[in-house]
Amino acid sequence: MFVKEAYLPARPAPAPGEAAETGRAIDAVFVTALEAELGMAYRLAGYLLADSAEAQDAVQEASVRAWRGWPRLRERDRFHAWFSQILVNVCRTRLRQRSRRRTVDVDEVDLEGGDPFRASLARDAVGRALSVLSDELRIVVIMRFWGDMPLAEIAERLGIPVGTVKSRLHAAMQALRRRIGPMEGGIA
Amino acid sequence: MSADRFGDLDDVDIEERLRLFARNSRTPPLPEEIQALPWTVQLEQRPRRILGFLPDAWFSLDSLRSPALAVMRLAATLAVAVAFVALVTQARSRTGSADYLLAPPSPGASVPGVPGAAGAAPEVVLVPTSGVVDDVMADHVAGAIRKAESDKAAVVVIQLDTLGGSGAAMQRIVESLYADVPTIVWVGPSGAKAASAGTFITLAANLAYMAPSTNIGAASPVAANGSDLASVYGQTEADKVMQDAIATITGIAQHRHPLAVAWAVSTVQSARSYSAQDALDAHAVNGLASSVNDVLSQVDGQTVTTTAGETVIHVKDANVVTVNEDAFQAILHTLDDPNIAFMLLVIGVLCVLVEFFHPTLLVGLTGALALALSFYGSGSLPLNILGVVLVVLGIVMVVLETGVPSHGLLTAAGLVIFLVGAVAFYGSPGPYRPDVSVAWPIIVTMTVLAALYGLVLVRTLMSMRRLAVPAGSGMVGTVNPIGEGGEVQADLSPLGTVFVCGESWTARAADGRSLPRGTMVRVIRQEGLTLVVEAAGTPERAAQ
Repeated sequence: MFVKEAYLPARPAPAPGEAAETGRAIDAVFVTALEAELGMAYRLAGYLLADSAEAQDAVQEASVRAWRGWPRLRERDRFHAWFSQILVNVCRTRLRQRSRRRTVDVDEVDLEGGDPFRASLARDAVGRALSVLSDELRIVVIMRFWGDMPLAEIAERLGIPVGTVKSRLHAAMQALRRRIGPMEGGIA
Repeated sequence: MSADRFGDLDDVDIEERLRLFARNSRTPPLPEEIQALPWTVQLEQRPRRILGFLPDAWFSLDSLRSPALAVMRLAATLAVAVAFVALVTQARSRTGSADYLLAPPSPGASVPGVPGAAGAAPEVVLVPTSGVVDDVMADHVAGAIRKAESDKAAVVVIQLDTLGGSGAAMQRIVESLYADVPTIVWVGPSGAKAASAGTFITLAANLAYMAPSTNIGAASPVAANGSDLASVYGQTEADKVMQDAIATITGIAQHRHPLAVAWAVSTVQSARSYSAQDALDAHAVNGLASSVNDVLSQVDGQTVTTTAGETVIHVKDANVVTVNEDAFQAILHTLDDPNIAFMLLVIGVLCVLVEFFHPTLLVGLTGALALALSFYGSGSLPLNILGVVLVVLGIVMVVLETGVPSHGLLTAAGLVIFLVGAVAFYGSPGPYRPDVSVAWPIIVTMTVLAALYGLVLVRTLMSMRRLAVPAGSGMVGTVNPIGEGGEVQADLSPLGTVFVCGESWTARAADGRSLPRGTMVRVIRQEGLTLVVEAAGTPERAAQ
């Protein structure tokens, strides 16, 4: 409980022998695999959390978890699926924690603040309306459209049936339409 | 806002629009330090320190701002304190009495005369008591009588001076007075009282003596011509407790003398108080005695009926052994003092409230402990619920000054309420309960202290509030950004964002034109939370 994990970025990879005290060296296969994921991961986390700083934290946390789980990963060609699953879990945890501690709806108050993700979402009414969705609905929408994931993949990542993904998407669309409908035609 | 032109939308439209929007929304680059793989991940080895967790605990306490957590923590603190007091009380009743202070490990081996053998000097156990009748006094008296029984002492003399106290404790003392050893109550020295519960105890002993100019009877004597008052009091107070008390004292007084019954009932029913001579005339006590030795000389040779049968008292040249409260009993007994119970409550409430606003474990623990001790002590006192509520409310109001800006009004009102509550802290005495109130000097002192606390608080807060708004920083509604310069953050088309006074504001241009990001602007006026700006000269498109 009191053991703190320190994520120390930007340190040169330790030479194989040197890394003894930190546990083990980071191997090149892992680095290559992870580097390929980072861009999409940041995009997903960013639009899901609508906060670049938190998205960076989420990506980093997911990376660290992946690294720690790496020795246990048998099928290394499934790294993409495995990593995005970790990332989604990290983001969901963060959303849950945030809803517990947040009192002011940031998305409502500070739509066009400095954050690039929030600014990007705020460009369109449909983006702004996303904030009314519940976390469970929003995560499906973001994965579907920003992550370009097919329904089956979303279902697998979230651990829910495909039918549930469909119904959640539908519910999200309806909620968005209800939200956007009356605002159409004027400047929000 | 370009996409805002859709009309009626169905799912497909919304989906299409989302897909388009998502495809067109770019992802900002991941910062270097996160992208630069690989990281090294280290499990920080914390040095093993004893109490090394304390800073963590401290920090986490400090960061727990949520009221729910604060309440839970308070509850836990209270529980700990109550458990502590319960434990202590339990431990006390285990050891039970003062026995161990006097009885040597092998009783009778070294103390001559203790076994009461013929020829040895008889032993008299003297039990001095004072203050409120409570469980501590009951333990003390019962323990001393048990000791006297096991030592085969000649008599037990209980020296009594009390205003009354708890009915349950009184009952325990009365029961312990029916013992194998003859029991004598001496109300003394001069000036002492055997009021309320004390009357019951006095009458229950085998023999009772009073020093000259002592009183016995109700705690609050009625006026000399108060027969009306007495009857009114008798009617209004004729509830279950009163009936029970009358029954009890009737039983006790019948043991003593048939003529004493009516007299004894009048002390309860009409709340009457009698002098020592009155009590003697009413056959309620056996005589007047100015000292313990006087008592002993008068009882010598008398025959009394104890639970062991008829006993003739022989106390000539007796060896008087005084059984005092042990140190722990003395401390607990002090808690029953009306002033101390009051102060403990005030301190407890104050500490608990301060803990609530400024969490530090120590203060909360102290407060909870003080509260628990106060509750323990006031168990034998006639607390007036209204008074307690007012006192607590007063303190709460003074402390609330922290959170609610009222320019001292809350403090002032709180102090008045506190004062009223303190005066009315103890209510009317019942048949057993003592007639007490909080001493004036203590009320005044506590009020002044609370006022000082409030003053310091208000002054500190005021200076803090002044400090909290440094000139030019943009607290919404407090700083006027008009005239300040700034920069367009998101295009004004016509509504956008400008960065002024260190924060982002929604803004539009005065002439309704659109200004691109990066344009330097000046604030002309404020409309609600929207700033009206004009371009401030420099960049390309600033025509005006």
